Amino acid sequence: MSATTATSVQRQACAPGVAKPFHDAAQQADAAALGMWLFLASEILFFGVLFFVYALARAHLPEAFAAASRQTSFVLGTANTAVLLTSSFTMAAAVRAAQLRRHGAAALLLLITAALGVAFSGIKLTEYALDYRHHLVPLLDFAFDPRLARGALAFFWLYFTTTGLHLVHLTIGIGLALTFAWREWRRRTPRLHEQVENVGLYWHFVDLVWIFLYPCLYLVSRA
Amino acid sequence: MSRPPAAPPPPLRHYVWTWLALLLLLALTAASAWVPMGAFNLAVNLAIALGKALLVAFMYMHVRRGTPMIRVFALAGLMWLALLATLSLTDFAVRLG
Repeated sequence: MSATTATSVQRQACAPGVAKPFHDAAQQADAAALGMWLFLASEILFFGVLFFVYALARAHLPEAFAAASRQTSFVLGTANTAVLLTSSFTMAAAVRAAQLRRHGAAALLLLITAALGVAFSGIKLTEYALDYRHHLVPLLDFAFDPRLARGALAFFWLYFTTTGLHLVHLTIGIGLALTFAWREWRRRTPRLHEQVENVGLYWHFVDLVWIFLYPCLYLVSRA
Repeated sequence: MSRPPAAPPPPLRHYVWTWLALLLLLALTAASAWVPMGAFNLAVNLAIALGKALLVAFMYMHVRRGTPMIRVFALAGLMWLALLATLSLTDFAVRLG
């Protein structure tokens, strides 16, 4: 037994980037992916509750939600969805480049992904400014058709909570993309592609949240 | 190594086609929202959102490539959410219905 322990310790010492509790690189990679999926499962619950509240409020206040949704910017919201879907494509391509050890391409694609994230944030903040001008921000100077004001207020509370939390997540994603663009460029981190895979999973999850937010906030009643 | 090395990543064109499909679905859902279909507008929007989500999960997040344990973890979040939502809905249905 002590002999096998000694060999496995030796092997651990030889394999670059394999931390102590793990037998080998494959086990470590599985554990890292599992940890990210556990985090994403908790994120599903986090955002899921907000979607549940939305569904309940909309079922009880359908007319107000329809009227309030028409006040959001269809053009900016749709354009932003296209930007985010494109960023998911560049992120998937970045992960692929990292897996193929094409460090320069991975760095460039991560940089493009971060830039698309910044573009999304810029469009979103522009929308917030327009919302403010149209008196749609709760607690500031919210004003709406008095018949529907209560439900519209509920809609815009949910609108700012969900898009705000999404924006926080996206900002963290931009930070991660830039950090790993730098690391891919430097090529000094061992087993870097596994970390980039996890950054990709996080980015795609943030995209998934927006995929459901888009119809819920922008497309309630356009026809 | 206790297992064979990871499979090579899929060709780039798979990702390009997925991206184009996502943009096509976005165009469909955006356009359909302007067609008056009553309750079907909501159904179409949700169905397209689900289709986009499945494309991202399977093509970009590779849920099928994950170990069985990863699949269990990914489904666990959805399962707990379904459980919480169902229990909360029974409460609301009884009190507000």
